[in-house]
Amino acid sequence: MMHQKTQDDLSKYVMCDRCNSLYRKVKLPAGKRARCKKCGAILYRYDPAYLDRAFALALSGIIFFVLANLFPLIHVGLWGKEHTLTLFSAISVLEEGGFYIVAIGVTLLVLVIPLLVIVDYAVLILLLKLGKRPEMARRLLVSLSHLIPWSMVDIFTVSVLIALVKLSGKVTIHFGVAFWALVIYAGIDLYLTRARRIGTLWEIYERRYHVQ
Amino acid sequence: MSSEPAPSHLIRCPVCEAVNVDTGDNVRCRRCGTHIPHPRESYYRTWALLLTAMILWIPANLFPILRIHTIMGYTDNTVVGGVITLWDGGSYLIALVILIASVLVPILKFIVLLYLLISSRFPVRHRRHVRHRLYTLIEIIGAWSMVDIFVVTALSGMVTFDSFQIVAGTGATAYVLMVFFTLAAAIAFDPRLIAQHYHTQKSKKASSNGIG
Repeated sequence: MMHQKTQDDLSKYVMCDRCNSLYRKVKLPAGKRARCKKCGAILYRYDPAYLDRAFALALSGIIFFVLANLFPLIHVGLWGKEHTLTLFSAISVLEEGGFYIVAIGVTLLVLVIPLLVIVDYAVLILLLKLGKRPEMARRLLVSLSHLIPWSMVDIFTVSVLIALVKLSGKVTIHFGVAFWALVIYAGIDLYLTRARRIGTLWEIYERRYHVQ
Repeated sequence: MSSEPAPSHLIRCPVCEAVNVDTGDNVRCRRCGTHIPHPRESYYRTWALLLTAMILWIPANLFPILRIHTIMGYTDNTVVGGVITLWDGGSYLIALVILIASVLVPILKFIVLLYLLISSRFPVRHRRHVRHRLYTLIEIIGAWSMVDIFVVTALSGMVTFDSFQIVAGTGATAYVLMVFFTLAAAIAFDPRLIAQHYHTQKSKKASSNGIG
């Protein structure tokens, strides 16, 4: 039975991440996806253009990340006075108020980790496309799956909107350039971190370097 | 495509999702090389992180996470207080989002993780799929508890006028740490603990050695 199966056979199987059912993989036509019979979760898909798309998105993501951090996110006005919100100013206000742990947490979750994820992605896809440095690609993939749960730009973007709703009627609000950059950046981050499972990249890795 | 419930000796690597043979101690993933510790380790680690998070939940909810300074003095807002203010102000949707994300989600995570940890000790073999789905659910929604902290960050970064100022409250630090420890607990939880029989066998052995 399964006990006698070799390592090679194991790579033909996939386990549903939602309900743990076991499936034997089948070849899919381009653009199709396999779903779990029990719970409907997507098991895997065949998307030949994924690498190119993800690479383009990762590069634009880095550009939008820079834009979102250089320019003001929101302009708020009260009785003729105006203040602008940038990511850095928001964090420095926390830090000046003595909320060091909160400031460190926000910096990591909204600035550092998302940037690491997107750079990790860009370098990894470059390596996968060139078919070079398998060991480095493996390390990048492993760090990627540790980093992804802690990337929270999407949640931060929604939070800025909620903060604006809380302020509505009390101050005047104008959106800055960086806000739209942040929205696009969050969209790209969402696609790269949540739309595909990390297993997809590992399968490409296996094919590229003929591991097994 | 053939589907079968995953045999108990097969596990999905938490890092790269590859199917591996479970040999108990010292499993090394065949694809990414990650060391997959024995579920016993995960059991105690999850308990420790979960209890820490539950203790932090108390100051996070008792102390204000927001202080609003106006010319009339200042008012403190706790997490629940913020929801009530929003509801009274007529922002029902936002009030509901905050209520779900920052009040209900952490409690739900505590209950689900407690249930999963305790049920792994007893031979309740049924509802394995339900428990698996509960686990995936808390993994997906968990990060959204951070919304409140990001709202506070955005508000305190925007509203820095002389006559109207919003700063973080003492509860914010506890809240960040509480969310951090709940997320870490969910990550530390090994889904193999849901595959019931495994743990009971091991825990019997372990308890005879005086460990469990």
